Amino acid sequence: MVGLSLGEKHFIQGGIAQDLRSDGRKRLTYRPIYVETGVIPQANGSARVRMGGTNVIATVKAELGRPSQLQPDKGKVSIHIDCSSTAEPVFEGRGHEELSTELSVSLQRSLLGGKSGSGAGIDLSSLVVVEGKICWDLYIDGLVVCSDGNLLDALGAAIKAALSNTGIPRVQVASSASGDEDQPEVDISDEEFLQFDTSGVPVIVTLTKVGKHYIADATAEEESQMSSAVSISVNRKGHICGLTKRGGAGLDPSIILDMISVAKHVSEKLMNKLDSEIAAAEASEDES
Amino acid sequence: MAGKAGATPTTYTPSPKTQRKKPPIFKNDDVDWVRPDGRGFHQCRPAFFRTGAVNAAAGSAYAEFGNTKVIVSVFGPRESKKAMMYSDIGRLNCNVSYTTFATPIRGQGSDNKEFSSMLHKALEGAIMLETFPKTTVDVFALVLESGGSDLPVVISCASVALADAGIMMYDLVASVSVSCLGKNIVIDPVLEEESYQDGSLMITCMPSRYEVTQLTITGEWSTPKINEGMQLCLDACSKLANIMRSCLKEAASASDE
Repeated sequence: MVGLSLGEKHFIQGGIAQDLRSDGRKRLTYRPIYVETGVIPQANGSARVRMGGTNVIATVKAELGRPSQLQPDKGKVSIHIDCSSTAEPVFEGRGHEELSTELSVSLQRSLLGGKSGSGAGIDLSSLVVVEGKICWDLYIDGLVVCSDGNLLDALGAAIKAALSNTGIPRVQVASSASGDEDQPEVDISDEEFLQFDTSGVPVIVTLTKVGKHYIADATAEEESQMSSAVSISVNRKGHICGLTKRGGAGLDPSIILDMISVAKHVSEKLMNKLDSEIAAAEASEDES
Repeated sequence: MAGKAGATPTTYTPSPKTQRKKPPIFKNDDVDWVRPDGRGFHQCRPAFFRTGAVNAAAGSAYAEFGNTKVIVSVFGPRESKKAMMYSDIGRLNCNVSYTTFATPIRGQGSDNKEFSSMLHKALEGAIMLETFPKTTVDVFALVLESGGSDLPVVISCASVALADAGIMMYDLVASVSVSCLGKNIVIDPVLEEESYQDGSLMITCMPSRYEVTQLTITGEWSTPKINEGMQLCLDACSKLANIMRSCLKEAASASDE
């Protein structure tokens, strides 16, 4: 994907070792993040996030469905990521499948919590309309429009922004006179919308190891030089909600623990920055 | 597998009889509950490995951890397909599949699509890919019975199969997972425990090099808890690797005779 000459490789590696990267950033500095919300009118919530050359869109669609029999008091959330071949020629045809699944699985791991539903960024029980009968199914779709490294963090941020942009219609359940019927009748309001609580949604920090050091928010060129990368999602409380490792090279356990503590520190800044960006985006959307 | 039906009951670790009890409900603060198979919280299931399960393969292994039974065959190295670009290191092709009868509900196991790529990522760091350029090694895993901690068993079994096939590796790859249930951390969870878990942590590592090749965490964890979980897993991994090594040694000495 990225063709680099030997000189360029040395330049990138040397820069990282000296804590001055080729775009002037320090090792743990993020590129500026730009957030736009409400970009897709068809969806219940949407957002576009830009970080340098990386450009992603996340949408949230809500549909009424039936809760699963095993968990009648919970709604369902599915996350799917698509990599457009407009971003990279290699994504054409089946080329994007591996990356798409990898991103989808990592995001599911970060946002949906354990099997019992605890630790989930999205409160599934808030999606229930009538227990055991009707719930909201949230379909979260991500699209990679342009890829310049660090897709997972950008997608995580975009999903967080899209969720805070999401309005779920208020549902009136018709008083079921015929209580024996399977599905009660519902009336979906198209005026009243409920805001989604996104305070528990974590941010994802990917630390990419190049040489002896690790960097945050790697560009595609820097990613081509990585030996391994660890994506850690951290919530407001500073708890780890999910961790995924990429890259084949082994890591010493103590380095991983070190990365986790660094990621916690970095995530605080990122979370604050993202929250203010989301608020600004929402405000400018209201004005227009 | 051959050992199961055949007349060689010598080294076999008997699997506990399937219990048809209702699953216990784990309460958050309940520290006294007993695990479904009566193990301690930090006690692994008995592990059993045997190489040479499939004759046609270059190397193969069968692993049984309690009710989790998997079989892994390794084929190759064979010439990479013409369509693939030239590569001066070898390729690894991994696939994990479930039998339709592996899960309590038929055909449910196929929703583990990511297992193949997880297996790939766990193994690629341990294999000396530069020893077989331009060629591909296939690792096919089949879960015969899913009894919990399927992926860790598949990964450990695959590394035994790779060693059996004579693929050069830096070290054996052992894998162990822990589940977080309320305040407790239980190691090597069974299916029932996995379905109730609040979070899970899986480590695959090369114990002699003390390097982690793959690590995944789901659910909410505090840092001290991650520490505890990782230590438990790493400790268990090194013990598991000893069992794997002794299985390989046994097979090697048996073929010498």
